[in-house]
Amino acid sequence: MTYEEDEALTSAARESLRLVIDPELGENVVDLGLIYRLSVSQGGTAHIEMTTTTRACPAADFLKDAVLSAVSQLPEIRDVHVRLTYEPPWVPDMMNADASRRLG
Amino acid sequence: MMSASSLSRWTMAYFAAALFFLISAQVLMASGYGFPTASIEAPETLVVVHMVTIGWLSLLMCGALFQFVPVLVAQPLRDSTLALPALLCLLAGLLCLLGGFLQTAGTIDLDIPFLAFGGLFLPSGFALVIWTIGRTLWSVPKSGLSLPARFVAVGLTCAAAAVALGASFAWVLSGHAPALAGTDVLAFGLPVHVAMGLGGWLGFTAIGVSYRLLPMFMLSPDREHGTGRFVLWAGASAWGFVLLARPFAVVSGSAALPTGFAGVLILVATVFFAFDLIFFYRHRRRGKIELNVKSAIGAFLVLYCSILLILILVAAGTFAEHVDAVVYIVGFGCLTGLGLSMLYKIVPFLTWLECYGPVMGRVQTPRVQDLVVESRDRVFFTLYYAGMLLGTGALLVGAPILFRVATAMTLLATMAIVAELVVARRLVNVGATLRLPEGASRPRLFLPHWHAR
Repeated sequence: MTYEEDEALTSAARESLRLVIDPELGENVVDLGLIYRLSVSQGGTAHIEMTTTTRACPAADFLKDAVLSAVSQLPEIRDVHVRLTYEPPWVPDMMNADASRRLG
Repeated sequence: MMSASSLSRWTMAYFAAALFFLISAQVLMASGYGFPTASIEAPETLVVVHMVTIGWLSLLMCGALFQFVPVLVAQPLRDSTLALPALLCLLAGLLCLLGGFLQTAGTIDLDIPFLAFGGLFLPSGFALVIWTIGRTLWSVPKSGLSLPARFVAVGLTCAAAAVALGASFAWVLSGHAPALAGTDVLAFGLPVHVAMGLGGWLGFTAIGVSYRLLPMFMLSPDREHGTGRFVLWAGASAWGFVLLARPFAVVSGSAALPTGFAGVLILVATVFFAFDLIFFYRHRRRGKIELNVKSAIGAFLVLYCSILLILILVAAGTFAEHVDAVVYIVGFGCLTGLGLSMLYKIVPFLTWLECYGPVMGRVQTPRVQDLVVESRDRVFFTLYYAGMLLGTGALLVGAPILFRVATAMTLLATMAIVAELVVARRLVNVGATLRLPEGASRPRLFLPHWHAR
C-alpha cells in the first residue's frame, strides 16, 4: 500500500466516523474533536484514540462500539483498535468551526 | 479504559412512579383536597405533601442519582441490584404512610397499623438508596471526589436525618413508640424534618447535580473551585446548624442563634450559587441552549424569587402566616420546575441510548433532540410556571378557588409534558425512515428489557 493509499484510507475512515454522533450534542464525533488520533497502518489495521465530552458518560461504551463499527464497514479495513482516553480531557475548544457554528 | 457508567436499569421505573405521584397530587389539589381547603397540619394536607415530597421529588431524585452518580465519580454503581428492592420499599412505605394519614382523617377504617408500616418500609427504602449511592461515592479517594459528588454526599446525610425524624413521627403517631409517648416529638423535630428534607436532601442535592449538568448542557467551563466550594461549605454548615438548633434550644432555651446562622449561611450560599449560574451562562459555548436548560434557568429564577419572598415576609413579620406560599413556591417552582426540566432531557437521552446506541456507527441515527418537539413543549413549560406563580399569589392573598384554578393549570401543563415524554419513549416524533433502523429495538415504556446491557 502506498503512502497516498494510506492517506486516502485514513481520510475514508475519518469520513465514515461522521456517521457517529454524540447523542447529547447531536454533532458527529469528528467535528466535535472527540477523535484524538486516527491512523491506518499497512495491511489495513486502524488505530483510533478517542474521548467523550464527559468522563464516564453513559454513552461511552456505545460511542466506542459505534466508532469501531463505522470504520470496520470500510472494505479495505481488516482490523480496528479503539482506545478510549480522557488524557487530555475534552474541552469545547477542540470542536472545529463547523460544529461551533451549528451549536450557535 | 473501561467506561464506568452504563444505563441504570430501574431509573425509568423510578421516573414513571414519580410522575404518577406528581399528577395524582396535582389532581387532589385542583379538586380542593387538603390545604388550603383543609388546615396545613390536617391529615389530608399531609397526604398531598408526602405524595409530592416522597412520591414525586424523592423518587425522581433517587432514580436520577442511580444514573448520574457513576458519572460524577467515574465508577460503576455499587450494589446496583438494590435499586429495585429500594423502589419497592419506598412505594410500599409511601402507600402505608398515605394509608395511615387517611386512617387519621377517618377516610378509611381498617385495623392495620399503616403508619407504623410506613415508618418501617420508608426508612428501609431510603437506607438501601443511601447505601448504594454512599458506597459508590465512598469508592473514590476522598481527595478525588468532585464538587457535585460532595453536594450529593451532604444531601444524602440530610436525607438520612429527615427520614429518621419522619419515621419517629410515624411511630409516635401510630402509638408504637411508647418510649417517646411523653415527648412532643412533632413540635421538637418538624421544622428540622421539613428543612432537611426539602432544603438539604432535595434542594442541596439538586444544586450539586446542577454544577455538573449545566456546564455539560451549555458547554461551559467547569467551576470546581472558588465559589462552588464556598456554596458547598456554607450550605453544609447551614444544615449542621439546622440539626443543632433543637438540642441548642433545650440547653439554652432558644434556637434563635443557630437558626439565624443557618439562615444567613443559606442566603450567602444561594447568592454565590447565583454567581456560578451567571458564570456558566456567560461562558457557554453553546449559544442555542435547549428547552430543558431554558426551563432550568426559569426554576433558578423562581429560587431567587422565593428567597426574595422569604426576606420580604421576614422583614414584614408575616413569615409564619405565609409559610404555605413559601413551601409551595420552593416545592412546585424551584424543585418541580427543575425536575420536569431535567426529565425533559434525561428521558429522551436514555431512550436514545437504549434504542439507537447499539446500532450507531452502522446506520444513520436521529439526534436526541429529534425525539421531542421543543417549539410545542415550550408552551407547556410556560403554562406550568405561569400556573405555579399564580398559585403562589393565590396563597399569599388567601384565595383558595384561584389556587385550585392555578393548580389545574400546572396539572394540565404537567400532563402535556408527561405525554411528550411518553411520545419520546415511543419514538413518535422521529421520522419514519430513521425511527427503527435494522438492529434497533423499541424501548419499553418504563420497565427494563431483561437482556439490557
